Amino acid sequence: MATLEVEGLCKSYRTPNGQDMPVLKDVSFTAADGEFVAIVGPSGCGKTTFLRVLDGLAGADGGSIALDGRPIAGPGPDRGFVFQSDSLLPWRTVADNIGFGLELQRRDRATARRMVSDLVRLVGLEGFERYYPHQLSGGMRQRVNLARALAIDPGVLLMDEPFAALDAQTRELMQAELLRIWAEAHKTVVFITHQIDEAVYLADRVVVFSARPSVVKATITVDIPRPRPLSAKRQPAMLSRVDEIWRLIEEEVRR
Amino acid sequence: MKKASVLSLIGGVILWELVARFIVKSTLIIVPPSHVVRAFVDLVRQGELQTHVYVSGLEFVVGFGLAAVVGVLLGLAIGVSDLVRDVLEPWLSALYATPVVAFAPLFVVWMGIGPSSKVAVAFLLAVLPIIINTSAGIRTTDQNLVDVARSFSATRGQVFFKILIPYALAFIIAGLRLGVGRAIIGVVVAEFFGTRAGLGYLILTSSQLFDTSALFVAVVILAGVGVLSVVALQKLERWLAPWREFAIRT
Ligand SMILES: Nc1ncnc2c1ncn2[C@@H]1O[C@H](COP(=O)(O)OP(=O)(O)OP(=O)(O)O)[C@@H](O)[C@H]1O
Ligand SMILES: [Mg+2]
Repeated sequence: MATLEVEGLCKSYRTPNGQDMPVLKDVSFTAADGEFVAIVGPSGCGKTTFLRVLDGLAGADGGSIALDGRPIAGPGPDRGFVFQSDSLLPWRTVADNIGFGLELQRRDRATARRMVSDLVRLVGLEGFERYYPHQLSGGMRQRVNLARALAIDPGVLLMDEPFAALDAQTRELMQAELLRIWAEAHKTVVFITHQIDEAVYLADRVVVFSARPSVVKATITVDIPRPRPLSAKRQPAMLSRVDEIWRLIEEEVRR
Repeated sequence: MKKASVLSLIGGVILWELVARFIVKSTLIIVPPSHVVRAFVDLVRQGELQTHVYVSGLEFVVGFGLAAVVGVLLGLAIGVSDLVRDVLEPWLSALYATPVVAFAPLFVVWMGIGPSSKVAVAFLLAVLPIIINTSAGIRTTDQNLVDVARSFSATRGQVFFKILIPYALAFIIAGLRLGVGRAIIGVVVAEFFGTRAGLGYLILTSSQLFDTSALFVAVVILAGVGVLSVVALQKLERWLAPWREFAIRT
């Protein structure tokens, strides 16, 4: 079980000249258990900030966040974060990167090793356990990134543009992979992206953020049946959703 | 060592021999390596060289060893604590900018002509780059990696040992490498200002006797110690951080 409920979240940053810049004005949002929610919005509107607050890496100025009815303050094992930039530890092998969270939680080694080898299989990296991050391709690195977040078995996965740095082909493959892993692992996912077709292809619902200071401008339900093959991206139903979201974001950028 | 490095060294020695034999020809200014070897054998036979190497070696090892321990610990403290940094930084900048070797004669006056004054000068010279590099390594740690650990609810101790230290390791080793050279200079210069034995003493006395061969023996040994220490530190780095070697190659 992992239902995420966010009520009236607000946050501002202090600018270098000492003023307060509101980034999140009033964000309310829910993600049901096992739901895949994508967030899109103009660049700089506060998507990363929002996700960091959900993870507990940054504090909010007001509002509430609850996971299964319990308020959250600070990071916890119930949430896993997949970072925007490639944030693997360069001095650790694939296996040791994936096991990093387990090690921090002081799980016993035999259990950790078993869990890591299961995850290596889940993300399709068998045979690369002893590679260092710089010996991997961008797509493989993001697989490790994902496996590392999954290792502590969080109810919620928070993903910040995990595929942004990948080329178009790898990106499509990784999207399909993510859906396969999501179906297998049964997680609630909050997924940030710049690519609207990616959001529509992956998500049950797409949440559109307004320009800064952010509020939720619209929520679009994507009622396309699963499993969705990559070819589903070319379906008219999918394309019309993409158009709809494009128009909403365009309004925000023009504003 | 790489093949090219070995060949380069051999070539250098041959060039030196040729220049000393056929171009300069004055054994006051430069002596060929063959003379140096002869002087080396003589000094060993007399048992003199062993004493000098032992005395200077001990001063170097103790001075550099202390500098390594104190430098890394202080560097870490400056790296993690703003207060420690603010308290120490003005002193460190001042010391780094002044030629500390200039204090060598003072140390000999204060601490006597025994090994302790040499240890002190070597320590003081070597400790600065070690502190500065170590704290820079901690301070420049990629904040994303710290966030990764924090996202897994890491404690401060875990962030320190599992993120900051591994990240700073390359910086620390670079600091130690700089420290080696400076500790050697510290020992030799301090010996110039008063000692009963040591390679610095050998350099001083042989130059006063115009015995250039013996002087070169001392210099070559010092250079050898420097090269060996750097190679040892490289080995240490490769052992502690095998991932970096790969990283550099790709
Ligand atoms: N640590 C910080 N201190 C001050 N301002 C910040 C900080 N982090 C982000 N900001 C500001 O908050 C705003 C939102 O940043 P954020 O990274 O959340 O945007 P984003 O929606 O993720 O953008 P992008 O789509 O480009 O990734 C930006 O204007 C940024 O300058
Ligand atoms: Mg962002």
